[in-house]
Amino acid sequence: MAVFLMLFASLGWAEEPLLVYCGAGLMKPMDELKAAYEEEFGTPVQMIYAGSGELFGMIATRKNGDVYIPGAAKYTQDALEKGHVVKEGMTDICYHVPIILTPKGNPGNIQCLEDLSREGLRIALADAKAAAIGKVSSQILEKNGLLEKVNPNVVTRPSTVNQLLIYTATEQVDAVIAWEDQATWAQGKGKVVIIPIETSKNIIKTIPAAAVSYSKRPEEARQFIAFITSPEAKECWKKWGFPVEKPE
Amino acid sequence: MGNRIFQAALGGITVIFSGFLIWSMVSLVLMPEGSEILESALSEEMLYSIHLSLSTSLLSVALVMLLAISIGYLLARFTFPGHHLLRTIVDLPMAFPELVLGLCLLLLFGHGAFADWLKSVGIHVVFSKWAIVVAQVFTAAPYAIRVVYGTFRGISPRYEMVARSLGYNHFNAFLRVSLPMARGGLFAAAVIAFARCMGCFGTVLILAGGTRMYTETLPITLYLNISYGNLAMAMTSGIILIAISLGAIIVFEILNREVVL
Repeated sequence: MAVFLMLFASLGWAEEPLLVYCGAGLMKPMDELKAAYEEEFGTPVQMIYAGSGELFGMIATRKNGDVYIPGAAKYTQDALEKGHVVKEGMTDICYHVPIILTPKGNPGNIQCLEDLSREGLRIALADAKAAAIGKVSSQILEKNGLLEKVNPNVVTRPSTVNQLLIYTATEQVDAVIAWEDQATWAQGKGKVVIIPIETSKNIIKTIPAAAVSYSKRPEEARQFIAFITSPEAKECWKKWGFPVEKPE
Repeated sequence: MGNRIFQAALGGITVIFSGFLIWSMVSLVLMPEGSEILESALSEEMLYSIHLSLSTSLLSVALVMLLAISIGYLLARFTFPGHHLLRTIVDLPMAFPELVLGLCLLLLFGHGAFADWLKSVGIHVVFSKWAIVVAQVFTAAPYAIRVVYGTFRGISPRYEMVARSLGYNHFNAFLRVSLPMARGGLFAAAVIAFARCMGCFGTVLILAGGTRMYTETLPITLYLNISYGNLAMAMTSGIILIAISLGAIIVFEILNREVVL
């Protein structure tokens, strides 16, 4: 998928679009904001959605693009250290809250984080290297001393957040650790149940945006970042389940 | 003159397209350094992936050939109501994306009556290594069925009739006459099926989950390592896949010549 988007992006149809590398989990609000931006400024925007690490690799090898919006601040920090993004205009957009997601009716009767270690459950966790949520779920389990106890229940480690949702909605697993916003996604509606994780046990991430250092139009990149963090844009983030205030 | 231009255009298009194909493959092979390829190829992850790909694919090919011989022979030798419909159904998975096939199989094997029955007898297909085999069989079978069907269609039923008039029953006539005559086509079908199994990605990803070092076949290794930003590993798995496909195509061409002769 990403390869085809890259192909289309590199063909340079009509006006050269602003190229935005964006975490796949942010697709719903970003699609809306992209359309709003295009309407307001008349500049076409090309979105490339993929896992945060995959996008990092694309920017590092291709040395192009204008804006980088990964699923966690760690990626922009690393990109800053490697010189792939610039500090100027780098900002936090909203929060990303890990939650436990179960299929409709919660067949595994999971009420809290500790329940994930119950024998015989089928759990899916995202791949820790490929997806931000994978790394975070390992960290949450480790922080609460549950990693070793939950591991035997883990039946698969898919590399994207979307796979987690499909497996939950179709009742292939009893629970997954996913981002809260995924439950508000339209296709998840009514098919999944959110079990919150206590804030003291949780690790809440910030979603950052940064201008890519190889951008040939840095003003427009900063303008795009300002646009997606404006008060109107914050309503859009909230609508899709991304809190703009840090959860208590 | 007109003929010349026509022939030159045909030749030009062919040369340009095949040139780009070769160029793209060569650039993948030449991109990483030799030492990187060697190191990646001998890494634990790659050896696991190669071993898993080969073992699942060989098992899948055996199952696919059982299906292809049965269904191909049935379609070639019998006319019955729904014959055309059956051919369409069997061909259908060739036309839709592997991801769609993966989703369909995910629902069949992981959700609903059939899945519940499987679970009640203790078989968990989804996310297991069996899921890889199931995904490969459903992806590769249509191709093999096509080839086997074509092969049996090309063998006159008269041979079997003669064998049966001399005392063989239908099964023996099939086993001793038609099957040996179809040998070349059957091998060709098996090679195509093997190549499809080795390269099967979307169906395996959805049904088996694509878990590193567990349900990680070669295309999954390529995909995961792109996600990890580990380009040497990704490219090496790509090169290994190209080498295997190349081998399969060469074998197919040799066998195919045999079939034609």
